[in-house]
Parts: sequence; C-alpha cells; structure tokens
Amino acid sequence: MKFIIQREPLMESVQNVIKAISSRTTIPILSGIKIEATNNGIKLTGSDSDISIESFIPIEENGIVYVEQIETGSVVLQAKYFPEIIRKLPDKTVELEVDEKLKVTIRSGSAEFSLNGQDAEEYPMLPQIHNEDSFDLPSDMLKDLIRQTAFAISTLETRPILTGVNVKAIDNNLYFVATDSHRLASRQIPFENQTLGFSSVVIPGKSLNELNKIIGDTQENVNICIMQNQIMFQTKNVYFLSRLLDGNYPETSRLIPEQSKTIVYVSTNDLLRAIDRASLLAKENKNNVVKLVTKPNNQLEVSSNSPEIGRVLEEVTAKHINGEELKISFSSKYMLDALKAIDSDQVKIEFTGAMRPFIIRPTENDQILQLILPVRTY
Amino acid sequence: MESWYPKKGRVIFHVDMNSFYASVEMAYNTKLKGKPVAIAGNPEERKGIIVTSSYEARKKGIRTTMPLWEARKLCPELIVLRPNFDKYRMASKAMFTILSDITPFVQPVSIDEGYMDITECENQGSPLEIADRIQTRILEELDLPCSIGIAPNKFLAKMASDMKKPMGITVLRKRNLSTKLWPLPIEEMYGVGKKTAAKLYEMNVYTIEDLVSADSYQLKRVLGINGERLQNRAKGIDPSPVDPEAVHEFKSIGSSETLPQDTTDELEIKKLFRQLARNVERRLKRKQSVGQSVQITIRYDNRKTITRSRKLPNYIENEDDIMGVSFDLFERNWNQQPIRLLGITVQDIEEKQDVAQQLNLFTYEKEAEREKLYQAIEHLTDKYGKNPFIKPKGIEQENQPRTSFQKDFLDDYKQ
Repeated sequence: MKFIIQREPLMESVQNVIKAISSRTTIPILSGIKIEATNNGIKLTGSDSDISIESFIPIEENGIVYVEQIETGSVVLQAKYFPEIIRKLPDKTVELEVDEKLKVTIRSGSAEFSLNGQDAEEYPMLPQIHNEDSFDLPSDMLKDLIRQTAFAISTLETRPILTGVNVKAIDNNLYFVATDSHRLASRQIPFENQTLGFSSVVIPGKSLNELNKIIGDTQENVNICIMQNQIMFQTKNVYFLSRLLDGNYPETSRLIPEQSKTIVYVSTNDLLRAIDRASLLAKENKNNVVKLVTKPNNQLEVSSNSPEIGRVLEEVTAKHINGEELKISFSSKYMLDALKAIDSDQVKIEFTGAMRPFIIRPTENDQILQLILPVRTY
Repeated sequence: MESWYPKKGRVIFHVDMNSFYASVEMAYNTKLKGKPVAIAGNPEERKGIIVTSSYEARKKGIRTTMPLWEARKLCPELIVLRPNFDKYRMASKAMFTILSDITPFVQPVSIDEGYMDITECENQGSPLEIADRIQTRILEELDLPCSIGIAPNKFLAKMASDMKKPMGITVLRKRNLSTKLWPLPIEEMYGVGKKTAAKLYEMNVYTIEDLVSADSYQLKRVLGINGERLQNRAKGIDPSPVDPEAVHEFKSIGSSETLPQDTTDELEIKKLFRQLARNVERRLKRKQSVGQSVQITIRYDNRKTITRSRKLPNYIENEDDIMGVSFDLFERNWNQQPIRLLGITVQDIEEKQDVAQQLNLFTYEKEAEREKLYQAIEHLTDKYGKNPFIKPKGIEQENQPRTSFQKDFLDDYKQ
C-alpha cells in the first residue's frame, strides 16, 4: 500500500475516527486505526465495538485533488501515536507507505517516521447495514435535535436505559426525548416518513454527542438507518455506526402535566442571566438551589442563599404572569441547561405547584419542551 | 492549687478505656476476671478475627485483628465471646456521663475514648486530683479500668494515655518531650499509620525525634499538609480544640464484609454488594442522612486492596442507588482475581434537613400528595417561627454527649 495525501483532510478524518477509539478495549487491535487505500480514495476506521466510525477521503472533491499515486492495500496503525504525528508533520502533503513486513513509513517534507503496523485482516468487519428502511435529516437539524436533548441524559448507570436518548416516530412527528429523572428534554419535528421499520429506539447519549462533533452545521442530508440493535448515520464521507440500548424507555408523556396553575412569560435571556448570577452562590449550597417567587406587577424574584457565603436576590420583570402566586426552588444548573437549549427569545413557563414538574417552552411553538422537577427544601 | 494550671494554654485529658469490650464482659461476669478473654466477630467462621482481648490474653501474644484460629493456637484456654454492642454502648454512655460531670467540654472520639478540656476546672482540684477522681469513679461505679493522659493539647494527651496501661495516669509536659516522647519509634506516634510510616522511613525518619528535626519542606512534599501537622505535633504543638460537637459530624458511612471463601463468582459478589448496600441504606436512614459519593473497597486473595470512588450529581440514600453505583464501579475496576472482602462507603454525607431534596419525575406524585401537609407546616412555621413538627430522631438524640458511633463499622459483627 502506498499513497500521497493532503495533510489537512487526513487530519480531519483521523480526528473523526479517533472519537470511536478507546484505549481500554478488550480487543487489542481496536486500539488502532485501520487505513485502507482503494482506487476511489482512502478510508479510515476506528471502533470500540459500541461505536464505529469510518471516514472517507476521496481522490478529489470539488476539483481539489486530495490523494495521489495510490497503490491499494490496508494496514492498522496504533491510534496512540498516529494523530499527533500527522498533526506535527512539517509539509502540506504526507506520503504513507507499507512494506510486506507491515512496516509503515510516513514521510512529509524532510521528516520520516517508521512505525510498526498490524495486519488489517485481523481487524473485525463492521456490520453492514442495508439502506432500505432509511430516512434523511438535514445535518444542522440533527445537530439541533441532539444539542437540545442529549444534555438531559442520565450519567448514572443505575437505570442504563436513561443514559440514552429516546427517538420515536408518532403521528407524523419524530421525537427526541432524554431524561435523567430530574429533568426532561424533548424536541419534535414534523416527519412524514411512514415506511420506517421502527417506532421507538434508544441511542446512547455518548454516541450522539460524538456524532454531533463529527457532522457539519450544514443542510446536507444525513442518512439514518435502524436495524435491530444498531443505528447508522451516513453523510457523504462519514459512516457512523452505534449500538442501540436494550430495553424499554419509560413512557414519559403521561408524566408531563397537562394543566397549569401559574404561567410566566419572560425573556429567555433576562431569566437566564439572573439565574446564572444567582447560581454563583448556589454552587456552594447543596444541589445548586435557586428560589423563584412571583411578585405583583409581573415581577419575578430570583434568589439564592448559602449561609456560609452570603445571599443574592434579583428581580426580573416578566412579560406577563398569570394565575396563582408561586414559590418554588430548583437546581440552577437544570434551569440554565434548559434555557440554553430553548433557542427562542421568549419563553413560557408553566407551573403546577411547588412540588410538581414545570415546563418551559418557546412562546411561539410547541416543538421544544424542557421539564424540570423542583427541589423540596426541608 | 492554681499553680497546677498554666497561665496561658490549656489542660487536656485523654481518657482511654483499657481493653474496653473485654473489660465490660468481665464487669458483667466477674468469673472472667484474671482469665484470657477475647471478643471476636463470628467465632465459628474463618473470618472471625479478634476485636479486642484482655491483658491476660495479650500476655500470650493475642493481638487485635488476629484471626481466631491463630489466637487459639497461641492460647488454647482462650475464652472467646461474641460482641454484645448494646452492653458496650450502655457502658460507654455511662462513662461519658461521668466525664461530663466534670466539664461540658467532652469530645467522644470513639466508643471507648474521649478528650476533655479541664482548663476551667480549677475549682474542682488539680488536674491529677480530677484524673484520679474520674478513674476511681469509673472503676467503682462501672467496674471498668481506664488510662488517662494529661497534657497541654490533645495530641500529647493521647500519647500520654498510651504510656501506662492499664489504670495509668500520665502527665506529659512540654519540657519532658525530649525524654518521654521523642525516643519513641515513629510508628507509635498517633496519626502515623503503616503507609505514612513507610514514607517516613524513606526519609530516614525512624523516631519521633527524627521527625522533629526532619526537613519541613521535604515533609510537606511527601506527605502534604499532613506532614506539616505531624511535625508540629511531634514538637508538641497541636492547636485543635476539644470539640463536643465533632462527634455529630460523620463524613462517611460504610459497610464491609469478608466472603466465606475467596470468590470470582459474580452472582455471589452481587449478592454481597446488595447486602452491603442494604446495610449502608439502613445506617444512612438511622442518621437521617444522604450522601453524594460512593466508594467501594475490593480486597483480593493476596490481600492487595483497592478503593475506587465516584462523586454523584445528586445526593442518594436508597439501596438501589447505592447498589447501582457500587456495582458499576466494581465492574469497571475488578481485575477478575478472586476476592476476599468487599466494602461500600457512602461519603460526602449531609444531614437530610440540610439538603434540598431533588424531586424525581417517576416518583414526584407520591411526594406531591403530601404538599398540603407541607404547606400547613410552612404556614405554622411562619406563624410560630420554628417548625413545630420536627420529629425526634430516636434514641441517639439525647442531651448527654453521645458515645461516638464513628466506630459504627463494628456493627458489622452484629447480625
């Protein structure tokens, strides 16, 4: 195997696939990057058997030549050294050559590295997914769906299913839902595709977060395909495969209160910044608690108290407050996470009492729902 | 009489009960007096180890933590008793009551030892007279021996009480340090365990005197802030106060147990973890507390011991949560070798009333049902200034200084 390649697209591809590589793997060869040269281009593969990523560098794209002088073949290189080597090479082009003893020579400018490779035959085959039951989502929309929900997954292994994001198709809508049982984030988009082979799957949050780093903020389509216990995301040059979580995701829709007693309309940014300031002291007390109290004349009082440090109190003018008076305490972190995910200038917050979940939505649509459970102070 | 008390500085006692559990047993059953007696957990099984023993047994070479079979080999006539913690707690409480007759500044350290600050007790006699009176009362009223150390601070008092056992009263003055304290081997210094001692040997520190003259910069580098503290103590400096409240601050609650046989059987391991989680939950509940970190201990068949811990985003208190985190930690860190002992400790403990309870999406309805009740309480609290319904928390909440239940781990031998 031999080829000469532009360093930049190579670096980008290497960075894509190392996201799947873990140094703690039970299959030793998976600690390496697989490099394959074909007549169409160069393919890199990384996998930790939960996530597998392939990144492809075509010979040329949009008239720019990336790879030259290809002699086909394949090899596996230690992922521990390869990325740093490529990053620090002196020249814009890199020549990579493998001899019959799997000795890999990397040349760039006047630098030359010689590394021991491993036989690519020993690298496990990735499951191939057939694209029959697939659907497309624009890349930027998929990124939004992930960003607005995946932060709410559980980081505890006590209920493994909650470490994933529930993706389901109901009545011409596609839903992404995540909860760690203290807050819940949900986003829906209109979805006409009824020929899907699935109704509900749970994708590991970690997989989605890695995917989010790899795919671009563009309108290019990502092709998504679900098969039994795997999900595949494919863009033009990236093939991303993740296992799905086993088990039933809890039915959350019935846990979301339908009527409310107090409704607050407020500027997202005004509230966010007040909570952020209150959280400076809240970080010191247990559970990051801030308190919110409705006052006459559309005033909201945000406060936090850490006996050993001090207290903070601030009034925020709401657009409108409807319904009963309210005193409620909640985690500032959950509130900040939710407000940041909401992507709207104005929010509507619906409360049903100091000990029941409250719901934050953009004023103008119902597509995003953030739900937070309050804390009860003893 | 006043000349016994320093113009500046303090007079601190360390009261240390002599082979406490064995002595309590002897007080209950005087026939045991003068005989080699040992208290051991689980006398039948191989995991039975000596918890404590009488002086007669110690003369035969019996030591705390020695396996039972070894002790029996050394002393075939050894009388082995199962621990009876109710008895010990009762005796402990009576002992601390005697101490608190002298001064309210009593700090229980564990079930059988405590500090007293008698700086303000001039009107009750000289320190030696007070110590003698305490020792006599404990012996006459409870039939229990103790040793008392008298010194200008807690560390020296602790070292002093160790110098004469049983039934000793030892005064350790600063001017006597060079002859009484400094010649001692470093591992006999309170606060120096095996690991610290090993590090000190590396620095050629073998006696307390070596520690006094050791380079303080190097000490700090090797042992951190503790190095500085140890050196100060060796020099006779220990500003820590006698704090009667300290016993209420428990930082961790744990439970550990040796398996009947070393094992790699995951089912058996899981079963033990479940049992440990249940113990820890029970103790958390007893203390009305919640914790934010979980630490597990794994001891392998070759006695190599590792601990691994995780800090959680929320406070937990339930068996299932403790179990979930513990077992996950275990699965990530077990090297598949046979296991001898497992332990779970919940750390970063807070009393429930100091922590806001994060409600849970799947269970909030149960809590919310009580909302009306809480509102009524809040209303009355506003009206009367203080929650009129705070419920008493059971027997441990009494106004006398409590015996320490930091030595709670001894409960493991109960069952």
